[in-house]
Amino acid sequence: MEKHNILELIQLFFKYAKIGVKTTLEYKFDRIFITIAIFCREMISITIMYLILLRFVRIKGWELNEMLFLYSFLFLSYSLFVFLFTGIRDFEDMVYWGQFDRILLRPVGLMFQIVASRVDFPATLGHGIVGIILFINTAFSVGIDWNLQNTAYFISALIGGAIIQASIFMVSSCFSFWAIKTMNLRNMIFFNARRFAGYPISFYPSFIQKLLVYIIPFAFVNYFPAQYFLRKPDLAGFWNGYLYLTPLVGAALFTLVYLFWKKGLKHYVSTGNSMY
Amino acid sequence: MFRAYLEFAKKSFMNNLVYRLDFFVGIINTLIMIFVNIAIWKAIYEEEQVLGGVQFRVLITYIILAFLMQCIYTMEEYIIESKVRTGFISSDLIKPIDFRLYLFSYNLGTLGFRMIFQLLPMLVMAVFLFKLLPPFSISMTFYFFISAALGFLVLYNLNFLAWISSFWFYWTFSLVTIKDAAIMILSGALLPLWFMPQWMVDFIKYTPFDSIYYTPISIYLGQMPANEITMNLLRQVLWVVILFGIGHVLWRTATRRLVVQGG
Repeated sequence: MEKHNILELIQLFFKYAKIGVKTTLEYKFDRIFITIAIFCREMISITIMYLILLRFVRIKGWELNEMLFLYSFLFLSYSLFVFLFTGIRDFEDMVYWGQFDRILLRPVGLMFQIVASRVDFPATLGHGIVGIILFINTAFSVGIDWNLQNTAYFISALIGGAIIQASIFMVSSCFSFWAIKTMNLRNMIFFNARRFAGYPISFYPSFIQKLLVYIIPFAFVNYFPAQYFLRKPDLAGFWNGYLYLTPLVGAALFTLVYLFWKKGLKHYVSTGNSMY
Repeated sequence: MFRAYLEFAKKSFMNNLVYRLDFFVGIINTLIMIFVNIAIWKAIYEEEQVLGGVQFRVLITYIILAFLMQCIYTMEEYIIESKVRTGFISSDLIKPIDFRLYLFSYNLGTLGFRMIFQLLPMLVMAVFLFKLLPPFSISMTFYFFISAALGFLVLYNLNFLAWISSFWFYWTFSLVTIKDAAIMILSGALLPLWFMPQWMVDFIKYTPFDSIYYTPISIYLGQMPANEITMNLLRQVLWVVILFGIGHVLWRTATRRLVVQGG
């Protein structure tokens, strides 16, 4: 595979992005409607949380604004994840419909093409808007000094969180190389873990906490980053170092999964479904 | 004549048997939802001990019942859409069967499947793991079953309105999703109405949503005064009739102006 310099890749990335935007705008009305639908769907859990806290004011010392701030990490990082890694999310379909064959034939890096070639704009916006609304409404009322250091931490936590979620999705995409369908299983694991992470993990029995820290590390997507800012007393149950590990967990996980992915690639056999 | 519809129901029942992973996933999802919600309510109760005169176990039972009902009331949302898109709807319409009855019997078959293969095992688990309370009394059990059946009919007819929109829109994902969001928030599926602010409850009382989950569950729990039960059941019947009426008019309009893109 010939090497491309970074400038060419960036140019190519923007070309892909332009095509992506054009495809989306082709069905303007439909895509806007889907975005609104995703927004409504994601607002269910927020509305319920709001109603519960309207009635009970605080749960285990957590107030409404703090809980919503905790939740905002899930939406913002998921939005970022879908924006960057739609291709990984849809990888199983790509293999099934033979689109992966096309990618293999092109003289640019595989991961680059997978990442660049697809963006699910409705999901990015639907989740992103929820995240931004939550963030704007809470970030300035939970006592955070938005200085340079905190802002930098926040951004790195979001990126780390997005990569952690990408890694979880990529583990499942690896199995496509052996023609094992894992999408249902993946969705079940991912979205249930996310459901748990919506509330502070200290609410749950300790085996669930361990699960979310060590096995499906959603705690690093929202709980620890939010706790870095909030320092609620229930943090006492965890090691303080976790507060700073999000980017590291993301990087380590992604590297590990990427190696597995590379290994799987050697076993790839086309489904023969290619229509193009 | 009804034999045909019985066969449709049977067929959908058998169809579900094929997708064993799906029904397993449905059970796991429901159990996890119940588990998460119980953990959250435990955290709330630790803080305040007794809340609004509603005992903890009553609340937990409410939550369990709500999720069990949601699980078995899950319907296949895109049957009409795919039939309209592929054009098969036209051949369905010329068959000597009533398409809406066919659709309904199909969903009843699925309901039957879910009651046997999902509800029963989950009910056993709910009793042992989460200590589900029994119904308030024998007469309330009887009213609960009537009310739950009416709740299913309200939901079915409401869903039908979203499904039928596929005659006007190419994709119905958005409308179906927004409809689901409204149901989730307003029907008491996730949060009992007694915890909601008064203005919201006043609003919900003018909608069909609470007829789906809140009414049957509050009868089960004995939360509804005995003299209000008849009125609430009638209210459910009224919503079934109204929603069916709207669906009927829309169906007539839709099938008359049907444009098929070829099959």
